[in-house]
Amino acid sequence: MSDLSTSAASGPIDLDTMDQAIIALLRKDGRMPYRAIARELNIAENTVRARVRRMEESDTMRVVAVTDIEAAGYGMLLAIGVQVEGRSPETVAREMAAFPEVFSVNVVVGAQDIEILVVSRDQAALNELITDKLGAVPGVRRLTPALALDVLKNQPDWVPFHAA
Amino acid sequence: MRRNLDEADQAIVERLSRDARVSNREIAEQLGVTEGTVRARVKRMEEEKLIRITAVTNIDRFKDAALAYIWIEVERSGQTKVVAEKLAAIVELGFVGVMLGRADILAITMVRNAEHLAEFLHQHISVVEGVRGTRSTLGVNFVKHDYRMARIVS
Repeated sequence: MSDLSTSAASGPIDLDTMDQAIIALLRKDGRMPYRAIARELNIAENTVRARVRRMEESDTMRVVAVTDIEAAGYGMLLAIGVQVEGRSPETVAREMAAFPEVFSVNVVVGAQDIEILVVSRDQAALNELITDKLGAVPGVRRLTPALALDVLKNQPDWVPFHAA
Repeated sequence: MRRNLDEADQAIVERLSRDARVSNREIAEQLGVTEGTVRARVKRMEEEKLIRITAVTNIDRFKDAALAYIWIEVERSGQTKVVAEKLAAIVELGFVGVMLGRADILAITMVRNAEHLAEFLHQHISVVEGVRGTRSTLGVNFVKHDYRMARIVS
């Protein structure tokens, strides 16, 4: 195993300003050609290629297509607080993460034990998700939902790569 | 309402959601269509804000990064939209939504720790005109985020 693949397994990484400049350009336009990035940052095209490859191979950065939830057929987005009893929040969180409609799961501290973000096609599907699926997960004491009436901003730039 | 992706769009997006640095030619070869078709469809989906092609970074690879959920109450209900618009302009916020239930607005950001969150609230959120109060929860374990879906606004 190379050092690179070993380091990819765990441990924090420090990105220098050039890496960060490349990421900033790719956040704006993920399909920006290597040559255009090189020109913009005044560095060699091969340097850009090598740095992008290094960040991808070390599981630090990915360039991906993000689909609009409405275009994917989901009309509703909700933030649901979950209170847990009798089981560890981590275990309940992992079981909730298995539902595809549950697109974000965070174990938190405060009045709630877990915060999740979910999408739903319509009200009937939402009823099924909350009542039959999430409410039936062992250890769930109470679900406190809030419906997003209008999403003004949603740029999940920083995310965990596992379980996605 | 935005149109739903058709089957050909979905096949292209499926490929791009794994690695969007792949060339149009490679996608075209895999799907048995022309390169021009792939290019035109990707361009159209981006223009219609059905997809966004962007870099995402792995929070697990960075030290001291936790997600904070900030629930915001406004002074008067009629101010909600204006306050939400002001919040959306704050670069550090990754999510801003007008909510029905729990609070008037939900904002999500990445912070280093509880001290950093307190400082962020004090400097950026409480000072916004119309914000009556906030309640926050700090993430201790970011279990999942399917970055392949989001509400594409801009």
